[in-house]
Amino acid sequence: MYSRMKMMDAEAGISKDVLIAWKKGNVRAFEMIVKNNMRMAYSIALGLVGNPDDAKDLSQEAFIAAHHARKSFDVKKPFFPWFYRILKNRCINFILGKRRRREISLDVLVEREDHGAAPDRLVMKQENREALWRALQSLSPEHREIITLREFHDMPYREIAAVLSISEGTVMSRLYYARRALLKALRRDGAVHGLEGDE
Amino acid sequence: MRYLDGEMTEAERTGFEKHLEDCDQCRRALEEMRALRCLTGSVAMKDPTDRFWEDYWKSVYRRIERKTAWIMIVIGAVMLLVYEMSRFVRFFGEITVEKTAAVILGVGFALLLVSVIRERAHQYKTDRYKDIQR
Repeated sequence: MYSRMKMMDAEAGISKDVLIAWKKGNVRAFEMIVKNNMRMAYSIALGLVGNPDDAKDLSQEAFIAAHHARKSFDVKKPFFPWFYRILKNRCINFILGKRRRREISLDVLVEREDHGAAPDRLVMKQENREALWRALQSLSPEHREIITLREFHDMPYREIAAVLSISEGTVMSRLYYARRALLKALRRDGAVHGLEGDE
Repeated sequence: MRYLDGEMTEAERTGFEKHLEDCDQCRRALEEMRALRCLTGSVAMKDPTDRFWEDYWKSVYRRIERKTAWIMIVIGAVMLLVYEMSRFVRFFGEITVEKTAAVILGVGFALLLVSVIRERAHQYKTDRYKDIQR
């Protein structure tokens, strides 16, 4: 399970010295950077491409591309937003390109461990989780991306805006349209009950 | 959206809740979004196994190492080729049809070899079962 805290830990784990050493070509420093960010990179790629094998390949390719492009990285800035652009471009090219061979995997979502304490607890059946994942994968990459960051990483608007290099106002409006699109896709599927209403 | 995501200040919240009391349309829209949030908030992405994460860095490192190796092989091969060609020209002197045909034949075989190696490399890269131990 991923959370915003993991991302914060990841950023905290990489000092400026590590980034400078990596820029000079130090492999140990690069290992630290990969290990600190791999979970986040993998899960964002998974949200975008929908398949664990593709997500693993693409996130690894993004790290390799980042390593080769490290000279253009500004060590005064945080690593993740810079890396995120590389990762996102790889995933979008993959979605739009011809490389996509694998089917969208449906066994990706699990019930949240900490959800038991919530008063409005809603136990989801496996088929409902699959329907939610299917609906998410039917959205545009832009909508998929913002839903993944907000819903599966609990990122506040400020962090989403930093990662996507957009304003907080744009985060808010994009999130609204993404949620509406997700709602529409779920209703169309008809698999998840309790979301009936006007379209 | 900001109300639902806890992004409002206390004053904004109070103001919005007051507005909700009088606005059916906003109340309905909020309920709809709340139901969706409840749904998405109840699930998380499955975390891969520890083995998956152990192999993750190793695989990145292996791929970087191989790329570097390939670059070195290509540079070495090009240098050798240029050197041998200059030796060939010096040794045989005048260029004839037979010599030209021999060179074309040699280059053809070399290209074929590179093409096969490249295809194998591409197959390896896209093989989803490559990490499975036999």
